[in-house]
Amino acid sequence: MLKAAWKRPQFRIGLIIIVSLLVLAIILPLISSTSATTLSIRERFAPPIFMDGGNLKHLFGTDQLGRDLLLRSLIGLQNAVFIGLVSVIGMFFLGAIIGMYAGYKGGWIDTILMRITDAQMSIPVIILAITILGVSRPTAFSVIVVLILAGWPTYARVIRSVTLTESKKEFVRAAKIIGASDQRIILSHIAPNILPPVAFIAVLDVARMMIFEAIFGFIGIGIQPPIPTFGNILADGTKYLINAWWITVIPGLFLFTALISLNLIGSTLESARNEALEGREQ
Amino acid sequence: MTKNQTIDDAIDKPILTVNKLNVVARSSDKDTAILTDISFNLSKGEILSVIGESGSGLTVLSKSLMNWLPSPLVASKGSVLYRGDNVLNLSTNELRKFRGKIFAYIGSDSTTALNPTVPIGRHLVSKLRAVMPEYSETQAQKRIIDLFDAVRIPSPIERFNEFPFQFSGGMMQRVMIVDALCTDPELLVADNITQPLDVTIAKQIVRLLYDLRDEFGTSVVFSTASLPMAADISERLLVLQNGRVLEEATPKQIVDNPGTNYTKALSERVPRIWSAKHTPMKSLTQKTILSVKNVSKTYFTTDPKAYFSKQAVKAVRGVSFDVLEGENFGIVGESGCGKSTLSRLLSWVEKPDDGEILFENKSINTMNSSELKNLRNQFQLILQDPYTSLPGHKTVGEIIIEPLKIHRSCPPQAYSDRLFEVMTEVGLPKGTEVSLPSQLSASMRQRVNIARAMVTKPNLLILDETMSSLDQVEQARLLDLFDELQRRHNFTYIFISHDLALVRRACSRVLVMYLGRVVEMAANEDLFFNPVHPYSQALLSAMPTLEKNRFDASKVLLEGEPPSPVNIPLGCSFRSRCPNALEICATESPPNSPIRSGQVECHLIAQDKNF
Repeated sequence: MLKAAWKRPQFRIGLIIIVSLLVLAIILPLISSTSATTLSIRERFAPPIFMDGGNLKHLFGTDQLGRDLLLRSLIGLQNAVFIGLVSVIGMFFLGAIIGMYAGYKGGWIDTILMRITDAQMSIPVIILAITILGVSRPTAFSVIVVLILAGWPTYARVIRSVTLTESKKEFVRAAKIIGASDQRIILSHIAPNILPPVAFIAVLDVARMMIFEAIFGFIGIGIQPPIPTFGNILADGTKYLINAWWITVIPGLFLFTALISLNLIGSTLESARNEALEGREQ
Repeated sequence: MTKNQTIDDAIDKPILTVNKLNVVARSSDKDTAILTDISFNLSKGEILSVIGESGSGLTVLSKSLMNWLPSPLVASKGSVLYRGDNVLNLSTNELRKFRGKIFAYIGSDSTTALNPTVPIGRHLVSKLRAVMPEYSETQAQKRIIDLFDAVRIPSPIERFNEFPFQFSGGMMQRVMIVDALCTDPELLVADNITQPLDVTIAKQIVRLLYDLRDEFGTSVVFSTASLPMAADISERLLVLQNGRVLEEATPKQIVDNPGTNYTKALSERVPRIWSAKHTPMKSLTQKTILSVKNVSKTYFTTDPKAYFSKQAVKAVRGVSFDVLEGENFGIVGESGCGKSTLSRLLSWVEKPDDGEILFENKSINTMNSSELKNLRNQFQLILQDPYTSLPGHKTVGEIIIEPLKIHRSCPPQAYSDRLFEVMTEVGLPKGTEVSLPSQLSASMRQRVNIARAMVTKPNLLILDETMSSLDQVEQARLLDLFDELQRRHNFTYIFISHDLALVRRACSRVLVMYLGRVVEMAANEDLFFNPVHPYSQALLSAMPTLEKNRFDASKVLLEGEPPSPVNIPLGCSFRSRCPNALEICATESPPNSPIRSGQVECHLIAQDKNF
């Protein structure tokens, strides 16, 4: 399937962009002479290099406190990708465990777990975020917890429904007859059949979670300054939108490029999988 | 359609002439031949059977008679002449005059043929009115209801308004016959219509087609894979192999004097029930290995007619029997008789509501989980469908050694030795252990199933319809394998099957089930030569066989279908279909009378002092 996806130019473009952005985001802050949080009042509002007054030291200009926007955006990207990935992995596993257990066991276990899922689903993400992040000092960890709490019910529901059909199949009955335990049946017979497709779709969710992270930062309940995130850089920039639009636009472009490339990867993976299912592969 | 006036004077001429018909699967670079030089004639009111194995081109032939070939199939040469018109040359518009009105087609999968959201009657009325606009709505309804009656669908007026999912497979096949016949076609193409049905129902359908032919004078092309079925219904047989006609003959010629080796093999492969000698394994020790005592199982489903009530489906009702060590024990019955539920209870995937099951004199009911796990070691079930019963993502080797891992029967270093030992025993060639189940044929997969079941060296194997998805040749091979394994390891087998021929060959004692009850239990010879219960007689009379059936279907064959297990009639549950029901049968359940080698539940026997 990866091979089939690799054949498509969209997949390659997406992969090349996101990988080069990540490499840049990891390496550049390490080798740079300044850091994302170094203030330099004399250099504040320096425009990007392609405009009048731009200089080589700050390729993409500086913000209202003279901090380098390229470095700030890259650190913001690090945070966003980290939070996006970890939270999606977390909600995927939590949802998978609860969904498979509920779907396989059925009966009142299923009812209780699914009602908890419904209850969780009825709380809007923002309300949940304000409640949790508002009462304590938000950290990367607490942002991840909020996102996992908001995201797992969807995974649990989807995985439960595919588990239901899967656990009615003959080979599951055969496994019961040879004496396999519930845990063994779930992990070694059901999971390998149902989780891969869900995992492919989860790639798209990484991008969605990055957006949520940016929203939290923007309304001030994300990771707190001075650590740069896309959200808080954008929020700072809105005040200077007319005179120094690049403070908002540059990190915006970075976020935009990263999201586009992730979505390209996710959607090509999904369509490659659909083709494989329809038997059109090879 | 100018030929319509000449129908009467053309009565002796064939209505359908197929002339050197060739059908190919066309791809851009080459044509692959599917049918080659097929020629035959069909006269009015004749039933012609086309027989062949799966893959021999039966369905393609049936469809090409109506110029209904799906792409990429193309009729490359030859003609299909219907009263002089070459059907293959007609445009879709011209064909519309033929299809429905003159040709009718019935396929094998009737259960998915109709839209599940539309009542049965509406489907048929709209078809009838589309083909014959001269019918008014009420006339059309009346005609459909009359035809429901003609194909013996009980209470036709109520069933007219029911939905497709409320019909069983056999009833649905009757609906499809009505669908085909309502427009008075001259030619009916029945493509493998009896394949998914139980023997008793299939026999009813065949007799029905026969009667309808006599009544309406319809010509029938009946394609089937079963030689006895074809011999039963038609005067003329066409044997098809790899898309070629091998032979055209009467049924008698094919049985007595086959023209080709293939036909000879085909006829020899049909099991002989009464004329051949069968010596299945009998128990040597007479020790009871499995004892089933009065088990019952009821499922609760929501009642479709009421909002909050549930209805009870009584799947198994008080079944008792003993299985002796080293014997082959058979359980037979039509679908819906409770066989599968019983197999689930025996394998303890589900627990009975009532009664108990003892394995080697220990009750399974009271076992704790570790004892139960230990029991799974000694007692295995082989499932029906070789396609779905193996996990598709594991290699054959992983599948076979999984029970060893679960039961820790031997140290991990010995896994591969045991794997190869078992693989050689069941006849899986070396190298298959790394392939996935999807790369193997059906019989190979079934061997993997068997290997998985016997890897922990069990004593008792339950075969739940294990053979039913395999063809006759493979069945025979697997039966030989089972015999050999039995001799080597002293296995006890329980065969659960609807296939009486298989049971006749393999089992020493047979139990006949009807609606969740044991109606008769007898030794093999007793049951097949001298059955006592009317239901056993009916089952035997419906068997497709080339010998003269010892039981005349017209006297003992059942009408209708088993009643629903939701509304089991009071008294004897078989009463509603029994040809010789007494008055007492309606009120009292028949007692269990021990006779000969077994037992029977029937008032007729209980009252007859001769037994």
